[in-house]
Amino acid sequence: MSDQSTQLPRLARAGHASHCKRCLSGLPASQTDVDASRLALAFYCIGSLDLLGVLEEQIPAQDRDLWKEWLWAQQAKGSFGSGFRPSPFMTAQYLSKEAPSIEYTAYDTPHIIMTYTALLSLAILRDDFSRLDRSGLLEFLRACQRDDGSFSTVPGSNESDLRTLYCAFAVSSMLDDWSGIDVSKAIAFLSTCRTYEGGYGQSPFCEAQGGTTYIAIASLSLASASTGSEYLSALEKQQTIRWLVCNQDKSGGFCGRTGKDADACYCFWCGAALKILGADHLVNADGLALFLSSCQFKYGGIAKAPGENPDPYHTYLSLAALSMYQPSEQAAGAYTATWKFQPLDPLLNANEETAAWVRNHIPARNV
Amino acid sequence: MPPIQYNDDEPLYSERPEWSDVQPLEQYENITPLAPIFYSPEYKDATGYLRAVVKSGEKSQRVLGLTESVIRMNPAHYSAWQYRYETLVALIPSDFKTPSTINSPDPLPQILQDEIKLLDQLSTAFLKTYQVWHHRRLLLLLTRQAGHELNFIKKGLIEVDEKNYHTWSYRQWILGSFGGLGGGGTDESGDWQAVDEDLWVGELDFVDMMLAQDVRNNSAWHHRFFVVWGCGVRDGEEDRERVLKRELIYAKQNISLAPNNPSAWNYLRGVLTHTKTPFSPLLPFAIQYIQPLDFGGNEGSGQEPKGIVDLENPPPSETAQLPCVQAMEFVADAWEADALQGDGDQEKLKRAVKVWERLATEHDVIRNKYWEHRIRDAHVAMKKL
Repeated sequence: MSDQSTQLPRLARAGHASHCKRCLSGLPASQTDVDASRLALAFYCIGSLDLLGVLEEQIPAQDRDLWKEWLWAQQAKGSFGSGFRPSPFMTAQYLSKEAPSIEYTAYDTPHIIMTYTALLSLAILRDDFSRLDRSGLLEFLRACQRDDGSFSTVPGSNESDLRTLYCAFAVSSMLDDWSGIDVSKAIAFLSTCRTYEGGYGQSPFCEAQGGTTYIAIASLSLASASTGSEYLSALEKQQTIRWLVCNQDKSGGFCGRTGKDADACYCFWCGAALKILGADHLVNADGLALFLSSCQFKYGGIAKAPGENPDPYHTYLSLAALSMYQPSEQAAGAYTATWKFQPLDPLLNANEETAAWVRNHIPARNV
Repeated sequence: MPPIQYNDDEPLYSERPEWSDVQPLEQYENITPLAPIFYSPEYKDATGYLRAVVKSGEKSQRVLGLTESVIRMNPAHYSAWQYRYETLVALIPSDFKTPSTINSPDPLPQILQDEIKLLDQLSTAFLKTYQVWHHRRLLLLLTRQAGHELNFIKKGLIEVDEKNYHTWSYRQWILGSFGGLGGGGTDESGDWQAVDEDLWVGELDFVDMMLAQDVRNNSAWHHRFFVVWGCGVRDGEEDRERVLKRELIYAKQNISLAPNNPSAWNYLRGVLTHTKTPFSPLLPFAIQYIQPLDFGGNEGSGQEPKGIVDLENPPPSETAQLPCVQAMEFVADAWEADALQGDGDQEKLKRAVKVWERLATEHDVIRNKYWEHRIRDAHVAMKKL
């Protein structure tokens, strides 16, 4: 793969940007299942435009302001504190003359994953965060943490796994305030998700999986930065690195579980985990780019595998993977410029300038 | 999977006389929306009524029908699931109590039987949707009919998708929650808990069956580790030495049937590491799988006259594609560990380096940088020896 025969085609940046802009302007009825996670989809689109470096040049300032308004309209407060809802999918239009209610109902609460993606989206749009209800956000995180240390997607729900734990850690790190959560309890839960393969499963007892392994490694690293503690032994790190590296298959792409086919999103999940572990030099970047080039859809967007339909999730994660793993000029040849990206912060999953904006504008002390 | 389309023959809720007492509530969308979905008329109609019943707090039989309609059009609609569950709980006859035992023979109320039947259908249709599995868990906490669930999962894994993550994790959750951790029925706080150790009884046979179907199914290998090592000790498994021996033979035999199988090698490595057993006693077994390569140190392996089957060291078949990359990795790791933590024989580390060189340049080129990193580390270690 790293031999001289690897020749990359063009990365169709304009097509990928168009795919994301199309999705932001509207989705067909066949996509109704993203109704309860629309904000995350919006993040993948806005994030792709950010990574491609075209946000300011292709989206008029007036439109970007409207996007911010919509994102802020999803911030809701109530008995479990403040956070962001996925969309107004459960919010009813006010009946005539009735005063708009600011508070959410038990069936329309903020969602922890949407809250994380909303904060990142607003940072990409360079919002000043003057409207962020910081104390409400801490209260919301507290309401989501369960007795076993894990976090539910919405307050009071039994639906919890490692994804939500990462979101709670990332939001705490963005706020530079960990007082909303019990970190040691959360880490004790996280540790029970580690498997004999060296990766992490989604919940205790589950099979090692690339996405949740990123989640675990990023969470531990975010917590380390705050507590100063080291959570993994040298041997555990070695085992995790080995498992992650083994997930890169002959196609150059990464699979999410031992023996499964490569999928574009795991180029990010496994690649970012390796980068956090300081093992990015072990990834075959030319192979990774070659695989992602083959996942490009003819009319724009990147799919999970060659021949599949594209979507914003796989498009964003592919571009984020490329932002960490740039192919060699030898492999990219005449198309080198199309493969260039600004560096990515693997812990927050945003380009470094956006991550710096987060660090400068979200913590309370900077208000 | 695309949502199942709404049955065209069904009238809209706004056309149903039995719903004429409810005023539907449209979705709030005053602000220019981001990524708006162009909903079908049926979805718009049903969710309008869902918002209305949620607001009024109605929990009735017709709400079960309504939430089912919404869920069939959007199985990821977690609020519809949540409200459905609360409605169900409100409608269960008041004399019903969650049984104190697992798999109680007492019949469940009709409403719960119907829900299980519906879920069996929806879980197959929406296999990859979180919410459907989440709802099953909530329901199982009410009914404790874990046996039905294990059978349902077995069927789903065999017939629908043998590697589905949700299905496997649901099985692991059931066994961990209702099967007990061995040695009695108390949880961490010492409280009595309803558990049934018998739930574990068929698990190893089940793994065997799944691996017979596909020996490369990592989910099944993982499940085996979970059953044998990851979640307590079952009756009859107390002699851990014997269990270790059995599991090593199991892994080795499966490797001999299909050597290039990372899942089986990972299981083997996992068992050795978990039990703190060194790799090197397995060198005679593993070295057979790196043929025709020869790095020295092969003495006493692969030399048995034909016809004698060595259970400890099952050989590869004559048609096996060798050398096997995972065997090369295993052998080099064993030599490295011996040199650094065992007998300190520097020659072994040199042999390991030679294996990694071959992996980097010839047999596993995609990972050349990883193998080069192992070589660099070995050189650093050698200076310290």
